[in-house]
Amino acid sequence: MSALLELENLTRTFGAFTALHDITLSLPPGRVGLLGPNGAGKSTLLKILMGLIPPTSGRGRVLDQELGGDRDSAGNWRLRRLIGFMPEAEALVPGLTGVEYVTLAGELYGMPRRDAQRRAHEVLSFLELEEARYRRVEEYSAGMRQRVKLAQALVHDPPVLLLDEPTSGLDPAGRDAMLRLVKTLGADHGKSVILSTHLLADVEAVCERVVIVAGGRVRRVGTVAELCGRRDDRYRVRVDGDPAGFRDDLETEGVHVLGEFGPGDWRVAVPRGWTNLAFFKLAEVNGVVVRALTRDDETLEELFLRTVNA
Amino acid sequence: MPAQTDTLLRYRPWRGTLRGPGWAAAAMARASVTLLARRRLYWGLFALVLLVFFFFFYGQYLVVWITTQTADDTVLIGGVKVPVANFTKFLDRLALNGTDHTFGNFIWFEGYVVVILLALAGSVLVGNDFHHGSLPFYLAKPIGRWHYVLGKCLGIGIVINLATTVPAVALWVEAGLLYDWQTYYFDNLDLLAGVLGYGLVLTVTLSLLVVATAVWVRQTVPMVMVWMGLFVLLRLLAGWLVDGLKADPEWRLIDLWNDLYLVGLWCLQADPATVRPQPQPAYWQAAVVVAGVCGACAGYLRRRVQAVEIIG
Repeated sequence: MSALLELENLTRTFGAFTALHDITLSLPPGRVGLLGPNGAGKSTLLKILMGLIPPTSGRGRVLDQELGGDRDSAGNWRLRRLIGFMPEAEALVPGLTGVEYVTLAGELYGMPRRDAQRRAHEVLSFLELEEARYRRVEEYSAGMRQRVKLAQALVHDPPVLLLDEPTSGLDPAGRDAMLRLVKTLGADHGKSVILSTHLLADVEAVCERVVIVAGGRVRRVGTVAELCGRRDDRYRVRVDGDPAGFRDDLETEGVHVLGEFGPGDWRVAVPRGWTNLAFFKLAEVNGVVVRALTRDDETLEELFLRTVNA
Repeated sequence: MPAQTDTLLRYRPWRGTLRGPGWAAAAMARASVTLLARRRLYWGLFALVLLVFFFFFYGQYLVVWITTQTADDTVLIGGVKVPVANFTKFLDRLALNGTDHTFGNFIWFEGYVVVILLALAGSVLVGNDFHHGSLPFYLAKPIGRWHYVLGKCLGIGIVINLATTVPAVALWVEAGLLYDWQTYYFDNLDLLAGVLGYGLVLTVTLSLLVVATAVWVRQTVPMVMVWMGLFVLLRLLAGWLVDGLKADPEWRLIDLWNDLYLVGLWCLQADPATVRPQPQPAYWQAAVVVAGVCGACAGYLRRRVQAVEIIG
């Protein structure tokens, strides 16, 4: 199967400003989270992946479709047919009903009208907008708007979905539903998903792989498990007894408490050269009993902050 | 909740062939007409369009009927015998006789309604795309920026032609039936071509102008003000300069609707000396102004539509 993305020494400059520096990246099909702080070059990368702007130098492919050239070239039209894009902006057409909006999207992608209509009904039913499909899109709630935007990206059944902040403006239940939907589209229906978001929890919930971009460079690439499991200085420790003295002693020894889950139940980062035995020695000194001690992975948030602050 | 497994089982792949971006422009045009047709105001304005059409349609019929059926008849008014034909003298100015000026005058009068219609339509069809952020929806698709402009212009062109060219062709057909149809249609094919040419000039110029002004001002009220400025204020100013101050007839070129009228009469091959009011600039001068307006609108659109950020 061809790679989802293959980028070789991709650079993009705007005048004297270099938005992307020499990016080389290869990703297999799957669900990918694209993370980065504001101004990291994420949007520029997405624009290049959609063929909206060409790279200044370097080359790349999305599912074997070459990147580059003018945005209105036939090659870039072919590229955009492979991608269903869900923009962050509202991007609705006021006055059209849900089914007309999705049909129009299908026709814009090049579907024959009859197919686009039939497919619009199918996709809206699939996204549980069946009953709202004849209502005008401007009357939709925030959750329905996000779903109809996903429907217009999905209407021509593209192999790649590019989702820009898909949970923006959703309440927790709506967000959870949207994330499950996106995950299922990838896992059960073979869609590759590129998810661009500021919400790290969204990436953790949906994506198999993460690309962290900062300062116009790719800083980290890998599966969530690989990236977050690499560190050996994170522990989850739980003790019985009065934990105050034990915690004070830990902190004196240079251990950072990263999170507290209950009395005497902590997630900690230990200094270099620390051994497991040290926990037990300090526990004995403070009269507490270590009930659980397990190696813990780094969270995506910790990884992200460590990466962008490096 | 939308992501339930039983729901997702309904997802089916689509395996068809995608067509070229030209079809996307047609889809955009259809959506534009749908959006307009949903507003009662536009039906009201179309009723005015029909009113003007029926005035010309039945006026043409009346003139022929009076001429052929009651040409020599008179009626007594205050003891004075007045020929029936005199009652239609006021229609002479409109030239309701299936000639070049019939169609020129018809489109001229329809123009008043069309200008109002387009001033209001611009914000709905184009301004909203900028105002409500719909543009990324279009431009993220596999189409060029000019397909977007073409699609919008096509939609507006349909509205313009429904109000001008289509009824003008109907008047041409009617004129053939009222006179000698065996010779009229054949002898006046150039008039039909002129009507279609006039329609084409109106379609291209006004659709580009609507899209450009809607991209510029976006909302309805400023859009109406700009159009009133273009088509009412500049007309008054041109009339005041040429008819009042006796300035050069070239000053009429600032009146865009008059320029379009002159280009239309050029298409209809009307004699420049018969154009009212006199004096008028030359046909070619009006054509240069119209071409200049089209070029300026296209240049402006190129710059503005290119500047749109699809991914912020």
